[in-house]
Amino acid sequence: MAVLRQYLTYQGIPVWRHALIIQWAAQIASAILVVALVMWFFGNMAFAIDDREIPFGFSFLSREYQTPIGEHILPYESSDTFLYALVVAATNTVVVAVAGVILATLLGIFIGVCRLSPNWIVARLATVYIEFFRNVPLLVQLFFWFYIILALPTVREGYVIADLFYVNNAGISFPSPTASGAAPALVWLALAVVAVVAGVIVHHRLVRREEETGRQSYPFVVGCATTVGVAAVGWLVLSGIFGEAPFAVSTPAPQGRFGRIDGGVTIRAGMLVMLIGLVIYTASFIAEIVRAGIQSVGRGQTEAARALGLSPMNTLRQVTFPQALRVIIPPWISQCLNLTKNSSLGGVVGYTDLTNVAITMTQTAPAINIFLMLMAAYLAMSLTWSLIGNLYNRHIRFTG
Amino acid sequence: MAADTQTSTANALPPPRTEVGVIGWMHANLFSSRLNSALTVVSGALALVILWYGMRWVFWSADWTVVERVGGLFLIGSYNTELACPGQNCFWRPQVSLLLVTALLGMIWGILGGGVAKRIAILTAVVAALFAFLPYSLERMGWDVRILLLANLPSTAIGWAVARYTPLGQPRWVVAWGVVVFLITLVLQRGLPNVPGLQPVSVVYWGGLTLNLILAVGGISLSLPIGIALALGRRSNLPMVKLLCVVFIEVFRGVPLITLLFMSQTLVPLAFPEDFPQNSLFRAAVVITLFSSAYMAENIRGGLQALHPGQAEAARALGLPGWQTTMLISLPQAIRNVIPAIVGQFIALFKDTSLVYIIGMVDIVEIGRVFISRPEYLPSAREMFVFLAVVFWVFCYAMSYVSRHIERNLGVGER
Repeated sequence: MAVLRQYLTYQGIPVWRHALIIQWAAQIASAILVVALVMWFFGNMAFAIDDREIPFGFSFLSREYQTPIGEHILPYESSDTFLYALVVAATNTVVVAVAGVILATLLGIFIGVCRLSPNWIVARLATVYIEFFRNVPLLVQLFFWFYIILALPTVREGYVIADLFYVNNAGISFPSPTASGAAPALVWLALAVVAVVAGVIVHHRLVRREEETGRQSYPFVVGCATTVGVAAVGWLVLSGIFGEAPFAVSTPAPQGRFGRIDGGVTIRAGMLVMLIGLVIYTASFIAEIVRAGIQSVGRGQTEAARALGLSPMNTLRQVTFPQALRVIIPPWISQCLNLTKNSSLGGVVGYTDLTNVAITMTQTAPAINIFLMLMAAYLAMSLTWSLIGNLYNRHIRFTG
Repeated sequence: MAADTQTSTANALPPPRTEVGVIGWMHANLFSSRLNSALTVVSGALALVILWYGMRWVFWSADWTVVERVGGLFLIGSYNTELACPGQNCFWRPQVSLLLVTALLGMIWGILGGGVAKRIAILTAVVAALFAFLPYSLERMGWDVRILLLANLPSTAIGWAVARYTPLGQPRWVVAWGVVVFLITLVLQRGLPNVPGLQPVSVVYWGGLTLNLILAVGGISLSLPIGIALALGRRSNLPMVKLLCVVFIEVFRGVPLITLLFMSQTLVPLAFPEDFPQNSLFRAAVVITLFSSAYMAENIRGGLQALHPGQAEAARALGLPGWQTTMLISLPQAIRNVIPAIVGQFIALFKDTSLVYIIGMVDIVEIGRVFISRPEYLPSAREMFVFLAVVFWVFCYAMSYVSRHIERNLGVGER
């Protein structure tokens, strides 16, 4: 025993009591365990692939998918390849996620501010909204909205508002701008960008002048006027040069016996249900985040702003909210992430999102490879959200 | 001096009527300014319209027959059908589990005394007993089941009395009893071969609210310890352990649960030898638990990060070894500070159990959907999903209600 003890020492300490060695042993053991487990899984999987002739490999991507995709934003034909079908499906997911995040944030901020309103009824209504929609599974809410939309009248008998908006069980149609020609549209879009830049520059200048001289300069109004003015002059000049306006308004109109709606933009039923469900559900979480953020700003800040003579609206906009943002952004990002992942429920309401299409694909293509791609796609989306959040967080954090 | 004070009190005018009482409250909360008054009128009108149409729909125009028709199926799904347990009435098995649960709630009430525990125990027992009077559409359900449901009232009382008057009334016995109840429930539901009256019932027939609750209770009680382990692993200074934990957490947090559930049914069976004992319910439970524990780990990590380093340093200075510093000093404080986030995750897990439809399990939502897909019930879709929403809402709201009381008792944000 004594001999053993003599040899099994490191830096004069028995190895079984040396912290450094115990730590390294634990690390090596856990690494070996995990590697062994993973190898066992992959070994079993490889055996199953061989034994049961389960298809494997990425060669399917260039094959024709030959299955319709219910709703798609990019043009799609059944003769397109699997790879392109996945791109189409991923676009659907990204569109519903981005639109959902924007709308849910706006609604969430509104409800969150209402929740803190000094008006008892407004605060109570906001509380009821939050407590109800937060505590019901999104799946149940999606089904509810799905059957509401389904119960709307058909296209031929649907609601028409002012001959411009069509609401029916196929979705909502409303007017949209369409380019009358490639050249005038592109030139005017370029001019519009210039107009926005000019407006921003004017706004900055006037803000600085106001801060330096104290003269009231109305930076917001003048900035907006600059943008609108430049864009309008460009519009008129281009109309003169090309003989027609760069953009025309396309109004939706029912066509044919079955009342297909042509023209304008149609948000189809599946996407509509997804947007309504995701926005209402996520907004209840964002509202709580906004409330917590606003409450985290010390009362002294609000009181000081009011003492300086700022109106309640300006106090919220210029003093409370910018400080609350530091608390709000990290949980807000995780809600954006949740919304993106929750859009994978599209399949249950007939919206062909990435998960839905991928699961359909597993019937005609190797499931293992499709799931690998699916996981990679969602991880990429999550990382993108985290990146946006971290960059913004760095932008607004305390400096100095 | 004393006389002076008395006179001045006696002569003092009462406060203006616009500042106290109902009028004062309305003045402060509803009509403090012109804008506020306008808001009150608009939002009050909105509230009245919602209330009027909502009430009219609930009590007048809604047709709740579909909910009555589904009846007991909401609770147990196809568990008691001829297909699941041929030639036998199995409805008593989930009922016995329910009896054990109400006894457990009674014990908790007995230990904690009045307040939340009492309210929840009594409410559960009363609701369970009231179920006995519902018009059930299940054929294979006799009077014995109604008696079992009514027995929830005495079982709560027995639990309370046991906790009050016997040495079993200690938290550690209640925790042990809770684990035993969960295991007995699993065994009762699954059945045992070669035991008369306990015919095995395949997990594919488990369903309804029972399935949601089994998945939720199992997931909640396991995801917290796993989440704590992952959080500690992620903060550990051993690079290998840290890497493993980070990869695990980020992968499970970055992928939608339904993708994971679907993979658990198509890919995971391939990763095990063909004769490896496993079933679809178990795999789903494992995936839900791991998914939830990844989120739990991040919540707890947040709590650990917010803790002042002085706490751990003081513990080390007192001579506590590393693991005792973590278990006795850091973790309890960290967990106390993130109770809202942890309970929020419990609620999310319970809501997520509704996603098991993706792998063909018939939970309470899927039962509703199956009924709605029949043409004769299609017009009742709204009633069905409003009912399901209320069922989930009751459980989730109860959880957040309990969490708020725990927070208040522990004095979160006050110390």
